[in-house]
Amino acid sequence: MKWILFFGALIGSGICDQETFSGHQVFRINVRNEDEISKLNQLMNSDNLKLDLWKSPSTLGHPADVLVPSFSLREVKSFLEEHGLEYAVTVEDLQIHKEMDFIVKSYPRLVSAVKIGHSFENRLMYVLKFSTGKGRRRPAIWLNAGIHAREWIAPATAIWTARKIACDYGRDLVITSILKKMDIFLLPVANPDGYVYTHTHNRLWRKTRSVNPGSPCIGTDPNRNWNSHFGGAGTSRDPCSDMYHGPRPHSEVEVKLVADFIADHGNFKCFIDLHSYSQLVMYPYGYTTMRAGDADELDTVAQNAANAMASLSGTQYRVGSVGSAIYTSSGNSVDWAYDNGIKYAFIFELRDTGFYAFTLPADQIIPTAQETWLGLKTIMEHVQNSI
Amino acid sequence: MQLRRQPLSAPRPGDTRPAAQRLAVPLLLLLALQGAAASGEPEDSGWLQDAEPSSRLLSQAARAALHFFNFRAASPSALQVLANVLDGRAWVNQKKEYKFDLVFTTEFYRAEEGEKRLGTCSAQVFFRNDKPRPAVNVTCTQLIKKERRQEEDYQLYKLMKQLKSPLNAVRIPDSHGYIAPSLRPIWNLAFLGSSYVMWQKTTPFLHYFMSQISSVKQWKTNDDAIDFDYTVLLHEFSTQEIIPCRIHLVWYPGKPLKVKYHCQERQTPEEGSGTEEGSAVALTELSNF
Repeated sequence: MKWILFFGALIGSGICDQETFSGHQVFRINVRNEDEISKLNQLMNSDNLKLDLWKSPSTLGHPADVLVPSFSLREVKSFLEEHGLEYAVTVEDLQIHKEMDFIVKSYPRLVSAVKIGHSFENRLMYVLKFSTGKGRRRPAIWLNAGIHAREWIAPATAIWTARKIACDYGRDLVITSILKKMDIFLLPVANPDGYVYTHTHNRLWRKTRSVNPGSPCIGTDPNRNWNSHFGGAGTSRDPCSDMYHGPRPHSEVEVKLVADFIADHGNFKCFIDLHSYSQLVMYPYGYTTMRAGDADELDTVAQNAANAMASLSGTQYRVGSVGSAIYTSSGNSVDWAYDNGIKYAFIFELRDTGFYAFTLPADQIIPTAQETWLGLKTIMEHVQNSI
Repeated sequence: MQLRRQPLSAPRPGDTRPAAQRLAVPLLLLLALQGAAASGEPEDSGWLQDAEPSSRLLSQAARAALHFFNFRAASPSALQVLANVLDGRAWVNQKKEYKFDLVFTTEFYRAEEGEKRLGTCSAQVFFRNDKPRPAVNVTCTQLIKKERRQEEDYQLYKLMKQLKSPLNAVRIPDSHGYIAPSLRPIWNLAFLGSSYVMWQKTTPFLHYFMSQISSVKQWKTNDDAIDFDYTVLLHEFSTQEIIPCRIHLVWYPGKPLKVKYHCQERQTPEEGSGTEEGSAVALTELSNF
């Protein structure tokens, strides 16, 4: 199974068909002359590849859009490269939005898409809202993913989780009960500009793509940009650093949109931020190794979540505060959430522990999402019982 | 000065432990540790024992020891990675130098699930200010028999000899984490070379993981040995930086690894130097370079 196929338009497959991922990918192929048209035809005529022409090249110089199923991906790429055909693969943030649209269309009474604004490069940011009740300020949970661009497993897990919540509502006791009392807001790609950049230019990009006046270096570390002990230990004031905290708190629009939304709502009880890698379930604080007031309870909840995650495939997640478990980091999202009255603030570092690191293979997406789901449910259940 | 053992009790809040860990340290190993530590060291140089060394700090030191172990073993088919730290003690002095006494488990560096054999290592790691790399003393239980390891190395070597120089614009793994089976031996060999570099660069504050081979400059196999010149991207904790390192290694099964490297450090107003070089002077001959 391929990564990009995971996000492919799920044409024909049921939304709750979680196990098989018949993902597709759209190739935009440039045909510049008759010779290339005939090569394209040759490709389209290969029976076994099962390609689908979405948009034919009406005139030379206009590209063809071809839908390529998962199993044909490698062959198609080889063919195109071998024959010198220019092509581009549609970038996944569009596919994530297609996924989100699909979920909303399939479950209109449970799920809605809430527009919160635009990124620095003007990409639409919208959040999936899962709600069974009326009222704009029901107690709520925020699931955040992809704030660091290169941590692809986080948005992948978030999208899988979105489908899981939609499917299991009405079937699974735990999630049904949670949703009866609380709303869930899910942001699968909290840093869309960075995410796109990891597909088009640099797979290991981390930050946003905002411009830093007077510096050749681009971007701010969005997880050092929150208004909580801003600029403290574990950050950098150098715009070229991967831990640059930015010119001021919430300077990054992607951070400000989320912070303002949560603050305006005023009734969030839980904030969970998904990252990779290291296999950790952590709680505040990051700016210090000193213990937060609720550390005992949060540690217990985190331990329970980690135990639940390990129960599926034996994957070990370690537990601790951010500052002691991984490293000091000031201005991070969970410190901000906690300092703003959201007691149940957690950050997950998903698979793995350094073998594949950021470039986790596609066949680990579903297992990672499945085990993470158990951890998320554990936390959400505890939150529900506490309110 | 009192020597205090790190208690292997149930997880304390704020401490970091694997969620479901129930491990017993063999008694002999315990006694050996106590024996080694009591041999007079901590009395001099103003060493103060850190009563509660963080799991992260201990893991960092253990990784440094393992990088050194892997480098010294020079066996791409028998690379080991850290599983868990079982026991660890840390000392720091006024010069902010660190010493560690560690017992940890390891597993094979393999992608395949199922082969989860654990080895055990004990190590002393010493981070000095005037030396760029930590001094390491490490012994590990044998995960596979020497003969089998040599045989697997030789098989790997034969595979590598058959590889055409391929690899011009290929990243390993690709963006999607894919390593073609034919390229896996290259990945293992690259990791071996990177182990040397990661050992050299690890400090109590910085440690590394290998992210990606970003380019292959040279892959020569016409002589006996494999001559491999490549650039690897190291992920640096806790700065989160990606450090490109150019590594040139020469490997032949059963012989010590020869390696030179040059890492590109990001220039910042705070930092002084911009580059870092190293070569395995102490352990290998550089006559072929």
